[in-house]
Order: sequence, then structure tokens, then C-alpha cells
Amino acid sequence: MNIHGKNKDLIISAKDLHVGFLVTKHGVNNFKDFLLTFGIRNLFEYHEVLKGINLEIYRGESFGILGRNGSGKSTFLRAVSGIMKPSKGELIVNGKVAPMMALGVGLEPELTGIENIRLLGTLMGFTKKEINKTTDKIIEFSELSQYDIESQVKRYSQGMIARLAFSITVAKTPEILIVDEALTVGDMGFKQKCADRIDEIRKSGSTILFVSHHLEDIKSICSRACYFKEGLVNKVGDIDEIMELYTSEMGVRKA
Amino acid sequence: MWSLITPLLYLAIFTFVFSQAFPDIKNYPLYALTGLIFWNFYSHASITTIESVINSRGLLKSINVETIALPISEVLTSLINLFFSFIPFGVLMFIFGATISWNTLLIFPLIILFALFTLGVGIFLCAFNIYFRDVGFLYNSLSSALFYFTPIAYSATLIPDRFIYLVKLNPLYHFMEIFRRVLYYSEMPSLKEWGIVFGITAFIFSLGVVTFKRLEKGFISNY
Repeated sequence: MNIHGKNKDLIISAKDLHVGFLVTKHGVNNFKDFLLTFGIRNLFEYHEVLKGINLEIYRGESFGILGRNGSGKSTFLRAVSGIMKPSKGELIVNGKVAPMMALGVGLEPELTGIENIRLLGTLMGFTKKEINKTTDKIIEFSELSQYDIESQVKRYSQGMIARLAFSITVAKTPEILIVDEALTVGDMGFKQKCADRIDEIRKSGSTILFVSHHLEDIKSICSRACYFKEGLVNKVGDIDEIMELYTSEMGVRKA
Repeated sequence: MWSLITPLLYLAIFTFVFSQAFPDIKNYPLYALTGLIFWNFYSHASITTIESVINSRGLLKSINVETIALPISEVLTSLINLFFSFIPFGVLMFIFGATISWNTLLIFPLIILFALFTLGVGIFLCAFNIYFRDVGFLYNSLSSALFYFTPIAYSATLIPDRFIYLVKLNPLYHFMEIFRRVLYYSEMPSLKEWGIVFGITAFIFSLGVVTFKRLEKGFISNY
């Protein structure tokens, strides 16, 4: 860890960050295709998504990330949470990141709600005691009934899945909270509850990374933001500035 | 529970069908059983391992966990099943007249080797299965052919000498032979047999780990 002396409160710092991954050659999606296109020398090709990100995020701030679909926002967040490894450049994260439970993809459909809470708790490295303590809190926050929490997650509605996923994510106050479009589902009441909880986490001094296409949501939470474009940070600045850029960029594309 | 039913069913069928066909195998039920238990472990463990990462893709997208832990846990689950299945099968073997001696204990290091071998096969294919989703299908259908290619229901001594080298290319053959050496013949395997099994395990296991680790960084984009 090299923390730069001047900015002691730098929590995430990316310097010329490249993230890419191996994918199979375009159009070769299964082994049969591979056999049929024999003669291909390289089975895999390298596909770069982030092409040199430079970004500094400070401890305790709420940072918004805007950009077109496919511009690398989620990839950047995955790199921050350690799910994807940088292929070039430097990424320093000085804090524990809460899991990214976008729309409940991390939930195991065959397990019940309560089993999912325990499984994720274990994977996040909590002790049995801590899990027992937080389980009730999670259930209470999610407002799921005893019957629902004991049924398999595959029987849940989208809204219920979102409730459970969000409740697990914010059960513990994390140092870095990543919110990736999590507020787009759920009913009004729960949305408000989520917003309140995020606010609470923010006030406790945690850092929040917020990705959303709902400008009002972003505006109500974030003070600073950046605009991602084709795997690069196009602009970093004040939230109003970035929102303006975002609307104009979107407008240009519409025309 | 279900892990016991399959080999028992196979055992019943084999005893019924093959014991007349192979009259020169002494104590056919014991012979078949000592092969079937391990085949059952191998086939279950390898198939679940291949699918393990794909089945948990949602989880892997959300939390930073060591990906290789998933296939390892599948093999461990199968291993635990195998040990539990030894209770009823031990009784059965005893009924069929197996001799139990100090040599029987050698089964434990052998099982560890076999589990590492299975893990190696599993993670090797698992890594490719993420890029090419039909690798798993292909393996599933080939595995029933592999079953008949391995001397489980029959003895390798029945194979003509001209073809024996083909059978010897099959790593499972060597494992089956050494398991039988211990459980069926109650003998100490020779140094050569140990060496072969050890070599196969070391090679397949390292091949699996290296392949898995090399392809791992691309997993997330192919889920």
C-alpha cells in the first residue's frame, strides 16, 4: 500500500488503470464452433474495457459515475471490489468494500432467503456470531415475512429479491459502498428506506460510489461525479457539471 | 443417500448381467463393487466440478471470493459422500468376503491421490466450460463411454494384448487396478503401481491448476 503523503484521505486511486479480459474469438461461442473453424490459432483474444482510467476518490465523499451503457462503469466498480484484477496500471483501494449486489445476482436461487444471508455472510468473512447477530437485522430491514424468508429465492418476485439483496449489502456499515442501479426496483416505501439508509451510511463517514441513470437519485446523494466514455474518464467534476455533460451527450446521440 | 443408490443399482445389474459373462472373475460382486464405488465418486465429482463455477456465476459477480474454492468444495463434498458410503459398502464387502488387513488402510492415501486427480480433471474442463458452454455436455456424454473403456465391470485381463496399450493410456485404468490391488486382492501395491498413480496425479493436477489460473481472469466476462 502506498498512500500518498499529501492526500491521506485518498480512498480509491486509479492511475492509468487498464482492465481487460480474455474472451473467446468473436463468433466462437462453443467448442463445436471451435472445431468447425479449426485453423484458428489463438483461441482467446484480449478485450480491453478500461483503457487507462485516472481517478481519485476521497474518503467520506459520495461519488457519482455516469456514462453510456457499456462505457465501463460496472467494470470499474468490479475492479474496485476486487472481483476483476487490473491488467495494467495501478489501483489502490484503502478500505473494505461491501459486496456489489446489483439486482440480486449474487443470491443462490435454490436456497432460501435465510440460507442466502448465511452463505453470503460466510463468504464475506463474518464469524458465526456476527452472522447470527446481523441475520435478524437484515430480515427486519427487508420487511420480508417469516414465510417469505423461509422460501427459496427462486420463488421471490424481482422486488423481493432487490429488497433482500440491498438489506444484505447494507447490513454492516461498509467503508466503501457501491450502489449500482440498486434503487431502480422496489416499491416507493422501500426506495425511501434505501435512500435513508444510504444517507445514514454516508453520514457515518463511509465512501459511496453511485452508478445510476436516474439523475435525481444521483443529485440527491452525490457531490462529485465523473463521466465515463468508451473506457476512459472523460471528465471529473462537480455533479451539476457532469450532469450537464451527460444530458448533452445523450441528447446528441438521440438526434 | 442418492450417492448410495446409483452404485447399488449398477452393482445389482452387473452382478445379474455380467457374472455369467465373466465366469473367470472370482467373487464378481466384490470385484465390481470395488470398481464402482470409485467410479461413482469420480463421475459425480468431475461433473459437479465442471459446472461449479458456472452455477455460481451470480455470486462470483457480486463478491470477491477465490474462484478455485468452488470446484474444491465440490470435490470435498463428493469425498465426504464417498467416506459415508464406505459404511454400507464396507458391510457389503465384508459379506462378499473381502479380507481386511493392515493393507486396507492404504486406501486412504490412494483416495487422496484420486481426489486430487479428479480435481485436476474437473478444474481443467471447468475452465474451458466457461468459455465453451458445450464442453460440459460433451464430457457428460463421453463419460459413459469412459465408463466402459475403464475396466470396472470387466477385468483388464480379458483384453487382447494388442489393445492393452490403449487401455493403459486411460489414467482411470491405473487407479482402478491399484484400488483393486488393495481392496480386492488385499495386497500391497508394487512400487511401480504407486509411481504410475503418483505421476498421473501430479501431472493432471498441475495441468488443471495451471490452466484454471491462466484462464481465470477471463471468467467474469464469459459468465
